[in-house]
Amino acid sequence: MSQTFYKKGFLALAVSAALGVSAFAQADIKFGVAGPMTGANASFGEQYMRGAQAAADEINAKGGVNGEKIVLVKGDDACEPKQAVAVANRMVDQDKVAGVVGHFCSSSTIPASEVYSDAGVIAITPGSTNPAVTERGLSAMFRMCGRDDQQGIVAGDYIVDVLKGKKVAVLHDKDTYGQGLADATKAQLTKRGVTPVLYEGLTRGEKDFSAVVTKIRAAGADIVYFGGLHPEAGPLVRQLREQGLKDVKFMSDDGIVTDELVTTAGGPQYVDGVYMTFGADPRMLPESKAVVEQFRKSGYEPEGYTLYAYASVQTLAAAFNGAKSDKGEDAAKWLKANAVKTVMGEKTWDAKGDLKVSDYVVYQWDKDGKYHQLEKQK
Amino acid sequence: MDGIFLQQLINGLTLGSVYGLIAIGYTMVYGIIGMINFAHGEVYMISAYLAAISLALLAYFGIESFPLLILGTLVFTVVVTGIYGWVIERVAYKPLRNSTRLAPLISAIGISLILQNYAQISQGAKQQGVPTLLAGALKVDIGTGFVQLTYTKIFILIAAFAGMAVLTYIIKYTKLGRMCRATQQDRKMASILGINTDRVISYVFIIGAAMAALAGVLITMNYGTFDFYAGFVIGIKAFTAAVLGGIGSLPGAMLGGIILGISESLFSGLINSDYKDVFSFSLLVLILIFRPQGLLGRPLVAKV
Amino acid sequence: MSAANKPIDIKKSVIDAVLAGLISLIVFGPIVGVVLDGYSFNLQPARVGWLVAIVMVGRFAMSLFMQTPKGLKILHGFESTGSGVHVLAPDYKSRLRWIIPALIVIAIVFPFFANKYILTVVILGLIYVLLGLGLNIVVGLAGLLDLGYVAFYAIGAYGLALGYQYLGLGFWTVLPLSALAAGLAGCLLGFPVLRMHGDYLAIVTLGFGEIIRLVLNNWLSFTGGPNGMPVPSPTFFGLEFGRRAKEGGVPFHEFFGLEYNPNIKFLFIYIVLFLVVLLVLYIKHRLTRMPVGRAWEALREDEIACRSMGLNHVLVKLSAFTIGASTAGLAGVFFASYQGFVNPSSFTFFESALILAIVVLGGMGSTVGVVIAAFVLTVAPELLRTFSEYRVLLFGVLMVVMMIWRPRGLIRISRTGVTPRKGVAP
Repeated sequence: MSQTFYKKGFLALAVSAALGVSAFAQADIKFGVAGPMTGANASFGEQYMRGAQAAADEINAKGGVNGEKIVLVKGDDACEPKQAVAVANRMVDQDKVAGVVGHFCSSSTIPASEVYSDAGVIAITPGSTNPAVTERGLSAMFRMCGRDDQQGIVAGDYIVDVLKGKKVAVLHDKDTYGQGLADATKAQLTKRGVTPVLYEGLTRGEKDFSAVVTKIRAAGADIVYFGGLHPEAGPLVRQLREQGLKDVKFMSDDGIVTDELVTTAGGPQYVDGVYMTFGADPRMLPESKAVVEQFRKSGYEPEGYTLYAYASVQTLAAAFNGAKSDKGEDAAKWLKANAVKTVMGEKTWDAKGDLKVSDYVVYQWDKDGKYHQLEKQK
Repeated sequence: MDGIFLQQLINGLTLGSVYGLIAIGYTMVYGIIGMINFAHGEVYMISAYLAAISLALLAYFGIESFPLLILGTLVFTVVVTGIYGWVIERVAYKPLRNSTRLAPLISAIGISLILQNYAQISQGAKQQGVPTLLAGALKVDIGTGFVQLTYTKIFILIAAFAGMAVLTYIIKYTKLGRMCRATQQDRKMASILGINTDRVISYVFIIGAAMAALAGVLITMNYGTFDFYAGFVIGIKAFTAAVLGGIGSLPGAMLGGIILGISESLFSGLINSDYKDVFSFSLLVLILIFRPQGLLGRPLVAKV
Repeated sequence: MSAANKPIDIKKSVIDAVLAGLISLIVFGPIVGVVLDGYSFNLQPARVGWLVAIVMVGRFAMSLFMQTPKGLKILHGFESTGSGVHVLAPDYKSRLRWIIPALIVIAIVFPFFANKYILTVVILGLIYVLLGLGLNIVVGLAGLLDLGYVAFYAIGAYGLALGYQYLGLGFWTVLPLSALAAGLAGCLLGFPVLRMHGDYLAIVTLGFGEIIRLVLNNWLSFTGGPNGMPVPSPTFFGLEFGRRAKEGGVPFHEFFGLEYNPNIKFLFIYIVLFLVVLLVLYIKHRLTRMPVGRAWEALREDEIACRSMGLNHVLVKLSAFTIGASTAGLAGVFFASYQGFVNPSSFTFFESALILAIVVLGGMGSTVGVVIAAFVLTVAPELLRTFSEYRVLLFGVLMVVMMIWRPRGLIRISRTGVTPRKGVAP
C-alpha cells in the first residue's frame, strides 16, 4: 500500500512544518521591512527595500544601533490583509524584530499594526496614508508620510483656489487608499462650495475606462480628480485625451509618483500638465543630496517611497539609540518626545504617531515626462 | 442627441471585441476537452509582454513604418504565444488527459500562478508599456455633440473581425478545422477514424493562444500599458463572455464578448460604474437561468 | 555530449534534450532575455542560457529515466484510470486507524511548544480545513462545481463584523447565526442554479461570489467598503483577551491574575476552532454514511439514473449546497476574529480557487485527504517565505506537480465493502 506511505509522508511534512522552528542567534538588531514584494504593487515594495537597505548599510557603517548591526528582514504581504497578518506574526515571533518599516497598502497596515501593538513592537509606515492607521490609539505606530485628510485638503484647496474648478469629477479606485483620498478631497471641495458633478469608482486591474471618460464628457467636467495609483491613472488620463477632452485638467495624488506613470499613460505627451499632490520631494532637499547621489551612482533612481523608507529606518535607529533600549515601547516614547534628523529633514511626531508638520505640495508633470514642484501657495 | 450614447456604444464594441478574441481560447478548449483553461488569461498577459518586446526590438533595428512594425509584431507574438500554448498543454494538461475533470482545472490554476510570477520575476514588478503607434482620431459631429474614435480603435475593430473571419474559415473549410470539429463531437469516434486527437488538442491550444496573442497585440496598442497581473481581470471577463455566448460555440464567444462589453459600457455610462460588474454578472446569471446553454450554445442532451 | 558509441536509447535522450532546449530557447528567450525598460530594453542572455541548460539537462535525465524499468512503470501509472469509489475488502482494517487519535494528541500538545506565528499559521490551516470540508460536500460528494464558495465565507466573516457593529453581537452569538445565514444564502443560490449542468453552474457560482465581493466593496456606508471593518475579539464568558478591556470590564489575564500574553487570544481561537473542526469532521463522517450522503454520491455518479429511481434531486442538491455553505460561514467567523479586521480583498476569486485546489488535491470526497491538503496548501506558502520572490512561483509549481503526480488527489476515496451473508445467492 503505497498510499500509506504518502499519508505518513505528508503528515510528517505537516508536523515538521508546524514544529520546525529554529531559534537563531540574536547578536544583531532586526528590523522588518514589510510591503508588497510580489503582486500588483510590487514596485513599491522594491522601493521600500532599496531605501531601507541603503539606510541600514549606512547606519551599520557608522556603528549600528546601540552597538548592534541592523539586519533587515523582508516580509511580503502582496497588499493582502491575510498575508499581512501572517507576515506580522512571523516577524514578531519567528524573526524577533525590534521594529518594522511597513506596510504599504493601508488595508494591510491596519490589521498588521494590531499584531505589532500586541507584541510591543514599534512600527513606522513610509506610505500608508489612511487616517485609521494612527487613529486607533496604538502607542507604537508611526507614519513617515502625511495623512489622506491632509492631502485631500491640499488637493481640494488647490482645485478651488488655483485651478478655479467649477465642475469637478472625483474618481477613485475603490481601494482603501484611493477612495479615502477621494473622499477627503470631495469633503474639502464641498466645504469650499464646489459640489463634484461626478463621483465614481473604477475597478483596479482594468484598463478600459472609456465609459467613465465619456461620462465625464457628458457631465461637462473641467477638472478630474483621481484618487488611486498609477496603473489606473495612466490609462485614465490617456483615454481622457484620446476622447478629445484636451482641456480638462487632471489631478491625482502621491500614488502616481513614479516615472512609470509615463509608461502607463502611453508616452510623455499624455501626462503633460497632470497635477498631483505629494510630500515636498525629498530628493530636492539639501539633507538628501549625498544619499541621492549614492543611489544614482549605483544606477537606481530613488523615486517614490525610496527615501521615505530610508528615513524610516533612520528614525527607528535613532529612536532605539535615543532610548538606549531595544524595547519598542521605550523607543516609541522617545520618538514622541524628540525630533529626528532624517534624510528628509528634521521630523517630529505627535502623540498619535503622525508627523507634526505635513508638507503636501502640488506638482505638475511636463511634456518630457518629469515632474516639478509648483510654487507653494499662500 | 449629443453623441454620448453612440460614443458609449462604440466604447462597448471595442471592449467587447477584445473580450471576444480572448473568449475564443476558452470556448475552443472547452469544446474539445471539456476543460476550463484558467491559465488562458495569463497566456494573453504573456503575449502582451511579447508584443512590447517585439516592438522594442523592431524599433531598435530602426524599423519605423507602422505596417511593418505591426506586421512583425503580430507574426512574432502569435508564433511565440502559440508555442507557449503548446508547451503549457504538453506539460500541465496532457498528463492529466485521462484523470478526473477537475484535475486539469487545478493544474491550470497552478500554471496561471507560475506564468504571473515568471513574468514578474523576469521582467520586474513594474508597469510596462508601448509608445503610441497610431496617433490621431476620427471625429464625427453629431447634432450638438461629437463622437471621437481613435485610429487605434478602428484598427482594433477591423483586426478583431478579420481574425475572427480567418478563424471561422479555418474551422469551417480546412482539413484541420474538420478534424477539430470531429474531435469536438466525439473524441473516441474521431480517433477510431484515424484522427490523431492528441495532436488536434495541441492544435486547439495553439489556435487559442494565437487568438489571445492577437488580442494581446491589439489591447497593448490601444491601452498602451499592461503588467504581469493584467491577465486576471480580463481572463474572468472573457470566460464570462464565452459562457454567455454558449461555451463551445465560436460565434457565441464573439457575441458574448460584445454583449458583455456593451452592457458594461452602457451600465457604467448611464447608471453607475461602481456596480457595472455586478450588473454584468447578474445579466449572466439571468441569461443562464432562462437559457442554460448560453445564447448560441447547443442544448445539452444528457445521454444514458 | 557525444552520442557516437552509445546505445540507441541515449541518442533518443539527446535528441529529446536538444528539442527541449530549442523550444525553451524560443519560450524563455524573449521574456527572460529581453527585459523591458520603459520603451527600450536591456539584454540578459546569461539568464536564458542558464534556464535553457537546466531544461536540457532535466529533459535528458528524465528521458533516460523513463527508459529504465522503473520509469516505464511510472509512465504506465499515468495510463491507468478507474473512476469513482475504490471498494476495499469487507474485513479491511485501515492501517491509519491510529492516525486520528495521534492527530488529536498532537493537536493538544502542540500549542505548548509553538510560538504565536506557528499558532496563527495552524489556525489558518484549520480554517482552510473547515472550508475544504464544506466545499468537499458540494464538489467532492455531490459533484457540483462551485467556484464562488468564498461568498459564503465572506458572509460568515462579515456576519461577525456587521453583527458587532450594528447589533452589538459577539463571537458566540454570531457563530451559529453566521452558519445559519450562510446556509440560507446557499439555499437561495441553489434554487435558480439547479437547472444548470456542470460548468454553467461553475460560472454562475463564480458570478455570485464576485457579486457578493463587489457589493461588500461598494456599499461604503454599510460595510465600510475597501476600508473594511473591525472585528471584536472573542470573549471567554464575557472576559476579553486584549491588553486593556475595551468596554470597561476586566480583561482575561487580570481576572485570572496572569501576566498579559497576546498569545492567549490565539490560543483560545485555536482551541475553539479545533473543537469545531472535530465536530464538523464527525458530522461529515456520519453524513456520508446516512442516506443523504449516499444520495449525494449517487447523484454525482449519474443524475439520470438517480432521478429515474425516484431520488428528489432538488432536495439532494439543495441540502449539499446548504450544508457546504454553512460550514464556510463558520470558517468565516473564525477568520474574522483571527484577523481582527475584515475587508473585501480577503474574498477574491483566487480564494475560491485555493479552496477548490484543497478539495481536488486532497482527493475528491476524502475527508483525511482534505485535512492534509488544507495544511499543505496553507503551510507551504509560509514555508516558502524563505524563497521570497520565488515563493508564489514555487507554490504554482507545487500545485501542478502534485496534480500530475496524484491526479486523483492525495487520498483516494474508498469504502469498505459488504459481504453477502452466507446462504444468499450472490
